[in-house]
Amino acid sequence: MTVSPESYVALSAVLFFIGVVGVIARRNPLIMLMSIELLFNAANLALVAYARAWVNNTGHIFVFLVITVAAAEAAIGLAIVAMTFRRSAHVDVDEVSALRG
Amino acid sequence: MLLLLVLLSPLLGAVVLWAFGPQLRSWAGPIGSALIGVPFLATVALWRDATAAGGLHLGLFAWLSGWTFGLQLDRLSLIWSLIITGVGFLIHVYSMGYMDGDRAYARFFAYMNFFVFAMLLLVLSDNVVGLLVGWGLVGLASYFLIGFWFERPSAVAAARKAFVMNVVGDVGIMFAVFVIVARVGSIGYADIFTRFSAAFTANELFLVCLGLFIGCAAKSAQIPLHTWLPDAMEGPTPVSALIHAATMVTAGVYLVARFAPLWSASADAQELVGVIGALTAIAGAILGCAQWDIKRILAYSTMSQIGYMIMGVGIGAYDAGVFHFLTHAFFKAQLFLGAGIVIHALANEQDVRRMGGLRTRLPFAFAAMGVGVLAISGVPGFSGFFSKDAVVYGALAAGHPWLYAVGVVTAGITAYYMFRLLFVTFFGAYRGDVDPSDLGIRHPELAGTPESSGHYAEGEEPHHHAPSLLMSVPVGILILPSIFIGWLDAGGANAPWQRFFAGFFPHGAAEVTPPLSEIASTAMVFVVVAIGFAVAYVRYGAPAAQRDAVARLRGETIRMPAVLVNAYYFDAAYDMLLVRPARAIGAWYVRVFDPHVLDAAVREAAISAQWLGHLFRSFQTGLVRAYALSIAFGVVCVVAYYALAFGAGR
Amino acid sequence: MIAFWILAVVLVASAVFTVTAKKPVYSVVGLLVNFIALAATYLTLQAEFLAVIQIVVYSGAILILFVFVIALLSSGTRPFEVGPDKAPRILIPAVAIALLTLAGLTVTALRTPLTVIQSTSTNGTTGDANAFGSVANFGVALFTTNLLPFEVTAFILMVAVIGVVLIAGDETPGEEGARRRKRRPGVREPIVKDTLVR
Repeated sequence: MTVSPESYVALSAVLFFIGVVGVIARRNPLIMLMSIELLFNAANLALVAYARAWVNNTGHIFVFLVITVAAAEAAIGLAIVAMTFRRSAHVDVDEVSALRG
Repeated sequence: MLLLLVLLSPLLGAVVLWAFGPQLRSWAGPIGSALIGVPFLATVALWRDATAAGGLHLGLFAWLSGWTFGLQLDRLSLIWSLIITGVGFLIHVYSMGYMDGDRAYARFFAYMNFFVFAMLLLVLSDNVVGLLVGWGLVGLASYFLIGFWFERPSAVAAARKAFVMNVVGDVGIMFAVFVIVARVGSIGYADIFTRFSAAFTANELFLVCLGLFIGCAAKSAQIPLHTWLPDAMEGPTPVSALIHAATMVTAGVYLVARFAPLWSASADAQELVGVIGALTAIAGAILGCAQWDIKRILAYSTMSQIGYMIMGVGIGAYDAGVFHFLTHAFFKAQLFLGAGIVIHALANEQDVRRMGGLRTRLPFAFAAMGVGVLAISGVPGFSGFFSKDAVVYGALAAGHPWLYAVGVVTAGITAYYMFRLLFVTFFGAYRGDVDPSDLGIRHPELAGTPESSGHYAEGEEPHHHAPSLLMSVPVGILILPSIFIGWLDAGGANAPWQRFFAGFFPHGAAEVTPPLSEIASTAMVFVVVAIGFAVAYVRYGAPAAQRDAVARLRGETIRMPAVLVNAYYFDAAYDMLLVRPARAIGAWYVRVFDPHVLDAAVREAAISAQWLGHLFRSFQTGLVRAYALSIAFGVVCVVAYYALAFGAGR
Repeated sequence: MIAFWILAVVLVASAVFTVTAKKPVYSVVGLLVNFIALAATYLTLQAEFLAVIQIVVYSGAILILFVFVIALLSSGTRPFEVGPDKAPRILIPAVAIALLTLAGLTVTALRTPLTVIQSTSTNGTTGDANAFGSVANFGVALFTTNLLPFEVTAFILMVAVIGVVLIAGDETPGEEGARRRKRRPGVREPIVKDTLVR
């Protein structure tokens, strides 16, 4: 391959960065969850890049597992979001501040 | 064993009367008196053992090596014990009459018994630690008894003043005792007297004696720690008689006499003690001329006479000083008890300007006080004559002509003011119904009045009456020694007193041939005393003087020099130098230090805990995004760790 | 090379669009584009099976799930109204922290020595178990070396299903359910009443 793995890792880091900002800075829970998916995918990209670099398909297996877990997590997360904001006026995570001390 | 009974019997009395006072009520008096009478008889019974060579020793217990506690009854402590228990017993009986009707009758006898116990502990100990314990307890008993009528603010203040000054003295004596024990390694007198000359240099010995003397000065009301004694007259008259005339104030004299070997080895210390004693004698006498309260006159006379004693034992004339203590105990107690009869009969009037003519109304009191005045003035034949002569001649013989001169002059002044007391109180017309302002009295309420003391029970009328038998018999008994006990020292070197103390005390430092013979000295003293009597007679006793007594008294009151009225400004000086700064410091503490430092520290501790709590609470926003931020921050830390730890670099 | 750069631009642009879009449906679309680009990226990295899985599972299932939930929460007159912003200036520290992470990751990556191994067989069929990245290669690895994680994954999925049913499936039939369903649509209450007494 002509592109060094570091480029892919850098790209993965940029995607991770965008995802982190999205999680913290947005208040809509759905968009927060989508940003979390972005984070997963950034990690996957890095894993695949290194798998290719060292010709070791353990990286692929790992990505497979990550995708599976991400799916499960997205399902449960969305269920929670749906139930929490079912009858609420604002779909805003700032409203869910009952743990305020 | 009997010696232990002597010591513990008053203690038993004190405890029993303290605990069961309210139940015992009027039995407290007889019980208290009996528990002093028994030790007196026991002491008499021990006379022979005590006067044997070495005295009577009773070891009690050993604590540390070199620290053995015990009691001893040798000639010196025998004299003191007899006075304490004997005169004490008489005063207890007197008090049964004087304090009759008082609300706190039992408490009085409890305190008196406690005092006797403490004083006996002081004189009977064979070690300095017992002395020190007795010393402190005596001060405590004095505090209790001066402030006995504690509803009077003036009594409480006087008790406090006495105690604080005694504490100042205690510091001095404690340092001295500590140094002695540390250097000598033992607390017993016997060990101390054999080892001290090797343990101390001359300068150190002087300092030790100085420390001991500071204690004496406070306890025996010598200058400059004397200001508490006049105020101590706030206590009941029997208290003044026992504690502040006969026994407690003589504790300083006992101390010097007991430590005679130390004093005799330090000429500088002897000089100091002699000078202070003489100074106190004459200063007290001069102040006695300016007093109008009958008890204060007697208080200053006590101060002056103790000055004589201190001078005597200070310069090395130990037996003379002790003899003066013996005679003084009798006639001073008698004077005080007689004054008590007068006060009691006049419904607590204590100002002599409002007395007069009591010769006919209270003949017994007149007789008693008359004998006392004759004795104290040193009229030939009476006891004071012999003892005072012994003291001043001892000063001359020891090579202190100036002290001798002061002693002689003081004798004259003593005669003057004591006869003044006698004439103003007992001669002339009764002035009790004269308007106080005519007599120059500006604050009549400051004299004793029934309302101002707790003496009478509620609703009782003050009464004029002749003294009860309980009061007059003890006074009568005291008349005899006042007259006759002086003859013990008559007859030069063969006198019973000289033989009694022969060889007991070490000789003074220098024995010079005195410039005057003893006869010449006695004659000089007699002349001075006669002059004093004459002046008093002309001013107060002559019929002419008695006729316009009111005008004369008022004139004298108005013209009294301020320095005498204010007692040489000692009180004012102490107030300025010590009391005000102490109060100011206390006020500063209350105003500044306590609220702003101590309270602030506690408050700030609480506030900082609260602040910390608030700080942590501000983290708990409940916002998901904030929590997400903190998780991200954690990720940063982990990544940083890996970057720095494992990034090997290209 | 060219492929990499084009895909990189698409990935980043779509990610940014996802994060900053106003409406959630727009975000879903952006995410879809992102996933497809990512699948293409996997193909350039010779992870063929994963590329397909990416499209089938991620964009095909998870994104559809997102769309359904958006539809569920959109019932009402004005969906997705947001309340007051309680952490208004959180963007700055967020960006700062994220940049730090970025820097850290990049630095780590750049400082790790790396030797790329050329694959011996780049041209193999899908069924060739020796060709790196092929489905057969992946399948062999999955079912032999990593069988246990595979079974555990199944378990995880089962748990997820049960969990979803328990959490979100609360529609009780009968009176209570009818009472709930009779509530007027469009009336919303705030989720949590602020009961804290200050």
